[in-house]
Amino acid sequence: MAGQQSKAGGNSTKGRFTNRGRVLASHEREEFQAIMAQESRPLVADRLIEYLHIIQDKLGYLPLGLMQALGEELKQPMVAIYEVASFYHHFTILADGETPPPKTIVRVCESLSCALAGGKNLHKSLSKALDGQARVELAPCMGECDHAPAVMVGRNPIAPANADKVVEAFVKGAWHTPSAHWPSLADYRAEGGMACFEKLRSGSLTKETIIEELHKAGLRGLGGAGFPTGRKWDLVRKAPAPRLMAVNGDEGEPGTFKDRLYLETKPWQILEGILIASWVVEAKEVYIYIRDEYPLGLKILAEAMQELDALGMTSHTKLHLRRGAGAYICGEESAMIESIEGKRGLPRHRPPYVAEKGLFDRPTLVNNLETMLWVPFIVQHGGAEFAAKGMNGGAGWRSYSVSGRVAEPGVKLAPAGISLNQLIQDYCGGMAKGHELKAFLPGGASGGILPVREADRPLDFGKLEELGSFVGSHAVVVLSDKDDLKAVAENLMEFFSLESCGQCTPCRVGTRTVFKLLRQGDWNVEKLEALSQWMTDSSICGLGQAAANPIKSILRHFPEVLP
Amino acid sequence: MSKSSQGAKPKVTITFNGQDIAVEADQSLWTIAKQQGVLIPHLCHRDEPGYRADGNCRACMVEIKGERTLTASCIRKPSQGMVVTTDSPRVKISQQQLFTALLANQPARAEGPDGESSLWQWADKLGMAGTGKAYDLPAIVAEPDASEQDNTHPAIAVNWEACIECGLCVRACREVQGNNVIGWQGRGADARIVFDFASPMGLSTCVACGECVQVCPTGALLETSQSKARLSSDMNKISAPPTPQSPQSHQTPQSPQSSQSPVILDQRVVREVNSVCPYCGVGCQTKVGVNKDNRIVRVDGRDGPGNHNRLCVKGRFGYDYIYHPDRLTKPLIRREDAPPKDSHHLVKPHEWSRYFREASWEEALSKAAKGLSQIHKQHGPNALAGFGSAKGSNEEAYLFQKFIRQGFGTNNVDHCTRLCHASSVAALIEGLNSGAVSAPFTDALYSDCIIVIGARPAENHPVAATFIKNAVRQGSKLIVMDPRGQHQGLTPWATHVLQFSPGADVALLNAMLHVIISENLYNRDFIEQRVEGFNSLLLRIDEFTPEAMAPICGIDPAVIREVARLYATSKASIIFWGMGVSQHIHGTDNARCLIALSLITGQIGRRGTGLHPLRGQNNVQGASDAGLIPMFYPDYQRVKEPANQAKFEAAWGVSLSPTPGLTVVETLHAAAEGKVKAMYIMGENPAMSDPDQTHAREALCHLEHLVVQDIFLTETAGFADVILPSSAHAEKRGTFTNSNREVQMARPAVPLPGEARQDWELIQDLAQAFGLAWDYQHVSEVYTEMASLMPSLTNISWERLEREDAVTYPCLGPNQPGEAVIFATNFPTPSGKGLIVPAAYTPPGDSLSQDYPFVLTTGRLLEHWHTGSMTRRASHLDTLEPTAIAGLALADMQDLGIEAGDMIEVETLRGKIQLAARADADVPQGLVFIPFCFNEAAANFLTSSRLDPFGKIPEFKYSSAKITPLRP
Repeated sequence: MAGQQSKAGGNSTKGRFTNRGRVLASHEREEFQAIMAQESRPLVADRLIEYLHIIQDKLGYLPLGLMQALGEELKQPMVAIYEVASFYHHFTILADGETPPPKTIVRVCESLSCALAGGKNLHKSLSKALDGQARVELAPCMGECDHAPAVMVGRNPIAPANADKVVEAFVKGAWHTPSAHWPSLADYRAEGGMACFEKLRSGSLTKETIIEELHKAGLRGLGGAGFPTGRKWDLVRKAPAPRLMAVNGDEGEPGTFKDRLYLETKPWQILEGILIASWVVEAKEVYIYIRDEYPLGLKILAEAMQELDALGMTSHTKLHLRRGAGAYICGEESAMIESIEGKRGLPRHRPPYVAEKGLFDRPTLVNNLETMLWVPFIVQHGGAEFAAKGMNGGAGWRSYSVSGRVAEPGVKLAPAGISLNQLIQDYCGGMAKGHELKAFLPGGASGGILPVREADRPLDFGKLEELGSFVGSHAVVVLSDKDDLKAVAENLMEFFSLESCGQCTPCRVGTRTVFKLLRQGDWNVEKLEALSQWMTDSSICGLGQAAANPIKSILRHFPEVLP
Repeated sequence: MSKSSQGAKPKVTITFNGQDIAVEADQSLWTIAKQQGVLIPHLCHRDEPGYRADGNCRACMVEIKGERTLTASCIRKPSQGMVVTTDSPRVKISQQQLFTALLANQPARAEGPDGESSLWQWADKLGMAGTGKAYDLPAIVAEPDASEQDNTHPAIAVNWEACIECGLCVRACREVQGNNVIGWQGRGADARIVFDFASPMGLSTCVACGECVQVCPTGALLETSQSKARLSSDMNKISAPPTPQSPQSHQTPQSPQSSQSPVILDQRVVREVNSVCPYCGVGCQTKVGVNKDNRIVRVDGRDGPGNHNRLCVKGRFGYDYIYHPDRLTKPLIRREDAPPKDSHHLVKPHEWSRYFREASWEEALSKAAKGLSQIHKQHGPNALAGFGSAKGSNEEAYLFQKFIRQGFGTNNVDHCTRLCHASSVAALIEGLNSGAVSAPFTDALYSDCIIVIGARPAENHPVAATFIKNAVRQGSKLIVMDPRGQHQGLTPWATHVLQFSPGADVALLNAMLHVIISENLYNRDFIEQRVEGFNSLLLRIDEFTPEAMAPICGIDPAVIREVARLYATSKASIIFWGMGVSQHIHGTDNARCLIALSLITGQIGRRGTGLHPLRGQNNVQGASDAGLIPMFYPDYQRVKEPANQAKFEAAWGVSLSPTPGLTVVETLHAAAEGKVKAMYIMGENPAMSDPDQTHAREALCHLEHLVVQDIFLTETAGFADVILPSSAHAEKRGTFTNSNREVQMARPAVPLPGEARQDWELIQDLAQAFGLAWDYQHVSEVYTEMASLMPSLTNISWERLEREDAVTYPCLGPNQPGEAVIFATNFPTPSGKGLIVPAAYTPPGDSLSQDYPFVLTTGRLLEHWHTGSMTRRASHLDTLEPTAIAGLALADMQDLGIEAGDMIEVETLRGKIQLAARADADVPQGLVFIPFCFNEAAANFLTSSRLDPFGKIPEFKYSSAKITPLRP
């Protein structure tokens, strides 16, 4: 009996002759066991997404039978597996009787920077060129915005991409994570790396000193929310044990790619920061959540963590690496926590805040990857020295991910508080040839769109809010006179409507409704204003609350483009 | 509903719509607003027990001063000094936009599944409800096409187009009922609810509890009976009720619809009646919806103590059996020229006229009474016997046993409790002198460790099972002991699943006792103060080491130790059991072991502890309490105690027999032997329910005079001389006592069909014809008389039940709630102590052999209840489980060379039947499970009538059998 829906068969005419629902066949159970042979037992529910990856990586899709076998072993109902698998873009569910699709997925980035560089046309040509051989899909930002347009062939990122390069890579079978060259721990130690953590471990440095230095440095959460890091650590440290920690490497905000760069070039700094943080807040376990769009970073971290474990440097805690599965919303800290727990990435209601009740309902320190990077630097050089790096009232260095119409896009390490004009002139070699600055996104898709007249304002937390905008993850996308702002807004609204988790009505219905209106060319101000206010006022999380920012920006700063 | 202890609740002061008020800090702003008289719009929030606020629909947004965004009031708690506004301009814009956006994606009100849904009612209140798609927002999903409806389930229609993704159904299915079928697919605007792997509902693991239907705010999930899409379909024509009539119109076999012109029914509910469910012992309170033609068209759950609004598939969708064409509506008398009674031939309802003729009530009652009194006169009281019913009310049960005792002068009165929990009751009375549960099943919520042994509550007590699942969600440990798996029931919730060898209960339980004693895990204080017989247990327990018992019960000694420790050392442990424990020749011993477990550990008499035999029938507790038992007067007062005899003789004004009467199986034996010559059977079906049916049916044939009172021409009624058409549950008023000792009021929802009459009136008529001076004018008078003779009903008056609908006994005062948990300080035994009776291991009555290598076990299916006389005539239930099946392990089926659905013959020393094989993941190799509800393949042809020596219960759970594939 093949795995299938409950069966009315045999030589009787009516009735149900199997148990209710889909019947798991023994060959499906055996295939599942074979695929999972490497996994330690018992399987645990919070690793559900990891298990789904194992199947998806092996087959290129998730057959229902294997999902059912997984559920059986996890003692989870079918729907609990199904709803997680169907939530994440990187899983493909294969229904019973469906023909398996080609194994390899070619993802073409359609987010703003890549769209400006012709991503959608590239998708069209690749769909034709690879028809029947690969699944060619549009996908959101892959963190390669400075090399737009980006394409991911299986696990192999290609940027900048063109059709020929991609087809060549595909034909050559270059589908796998490329080999990485990254500094060794010895190199890092040679520059004085790990010294802070060792001092902390040996007791020559106290937890209080560290927090004090973080206060002095004015370090703020660099995932986008900008919450003072020292204060967060202090709060969590005082919460009841056991405490946990989660590191947010789900850098999904379109236009942001600093975390990817640091992951691939400075993994030891990040890990030292994590070791220090987990020591200071006495986190029993640390979960590092990296988006699935960063295969290289995942590989590097996995190896580096193994090395640290082997050296006994993680003896005060336990490090876990968790792999996202294609969901922008999981960059939202409580959605990330849900995802680490093996669930759909639905943001939680606040209060309670994750510092009180986070991962597995324990007090949890959640920090962004780059925030961790700066911790050893600050401890080594002193908070004051870091703070002094800022300008225009800002404190410290900031990593601006600059893309779009500039001559030299990339991650620009610049003083916090720098203005857009200065960033472009001093760090990006000016505007791209033939382009004149017209507008810019200071904080990725959600930070709103500002006109050129605001280009002298400091790009820092708290400085753009009065314009209905924010700097967020410092993802600066520069637009020029050649760009159609309405098309930009439409691109951003499409992104939000595809990435909304669907939990609350204003975001689920609002993002899609606004996108549909824009696509129809219906820029009715009254309608859009009411919808925007509703989404901003009544959505559960930052995604929905900020999703209307592109529209609000156009209505407020660019009325001239409206019909 | 939770373990949180009650105490003074902390208060805070908030400013609510401009007024300063002090409020409880742990209530939601939504609830506070409601208390202030402000009903905030809500769709995804359900203000009922068991429902967690989810805050996703964003209809209940309020403004809090100083906060950047609005907040969902259903999920937000107040804090000191909070300034809350429920009607600010921002709030209003939010509400308007929400309803504009939702309605833009709804079908037009008149075309949608439910124009009176909660969504439309709120739209009305907010002035947002237009008549069509007058909302100038684009719909976000494509126009609904055919696939936007899922009509694969007979009872529930899924109208995707009306879904607003509020997830109430998901919480209903998973968090409240714990059925884990409904969930999500996709995300964002493409998110939708699905069943299992996005299966069509009718092919999913859905058990049709209908909780989702009850809570859906839009009609996206709706009873098919209420679905507009179905109103014009054939479904309704098929189930259109015949006008009440005798079976006369069905002289030839025919499908019911061919006899009538198509009728389109008006399914709208015009009035609702508060009653209780007619099925199992859980005793769910119901709200019965009746249409303008006085026909039941919908049943919802009410917030009763045992169900908290929940129902199961039987209670919610199994109501239309009362309209089945087989319904008896005129008295019938066996024809003088009828073919002789033949135990091998069951009279089918459609062939009634070959055997019976219609009669007037006068003739039928007089013939019934005359037959009985003649035998009485000629052969004496003990040639008569009566079987009452656990389906009838307490009043009916009381009157029935009173008639048998006062009128016939014998104690030959029994009912189907003999076939279900007689052994449990025997052990409980012996040990604790009380046959009822010590704590309600809802106390699972207070337990840390729950043992479910020999019971499959997800099938047989589905709503009780929901509380066990809820308890596990809260962190309780669940141990399930059952030879069969419960894969779609409790297994996924269990911390330990012990699929022990059939019949090895005592071995397993004694090994647990051994562990608790040898590891000193017993409760010395409790034993010293409240237990007798511990020493006799100590003397007997040595041989029952886990190692010695493991080969018998098939459970690893380490596992036995683990569960024994868990049970003994948890703060509060409770034991639930069912027929798997009781229906053995060692059923009483099984129950003695369970009692011993609770007594030596002191796991009884406190919240979350105790002993709970799950009662099978809606009123098996009440019928037993009311004295429908051969050795007891009402309230288990022994007939052989002279004081009791004197008390009832005084009350009833006649002399009574001091000899305990015959039990059910003994009665049939006596009938076969010619000792019992006449019977009055009300609402029981021994021709289906009793073991060794060949013998049972021969016994019925052998009776000289049989009066059957029922609503259908049951298998038993086919052997009757007079058949009295009576009242269905939905047509009667009376009290019913559930498994929790909750006495509940049932009310008639619809009138009696044709000439059918109330059961209690018929008993009275027969009693009067028998010469008794009965003169009850109303059923309440019966209750009052009964209560005056039953100390357990003290403080529970008819009026109080009318007012409160449910009161638990015992009850300490007319204004006090009843005692849910009993035995807190002592047991009602003469010494006040509980008695341990050690049990020896007895192997099952049948033994396996080369010729009979399978163990046959019988039981129920979720959709069918008892002998199927009601549920197989309920259209949805019979559609869901229409065919006689035998559950087998896949491996055994492969060995037999058969596939799912193939016909097989199952044979025991008693008889053989033919039915289809079901590949059943719950059945271990070597076992075959056959439900006893299918008269076309009656399982009780196969079972043995060997009895437990104490409870006189037959061994339905163990027969040796052989299986032969039938080639087509």
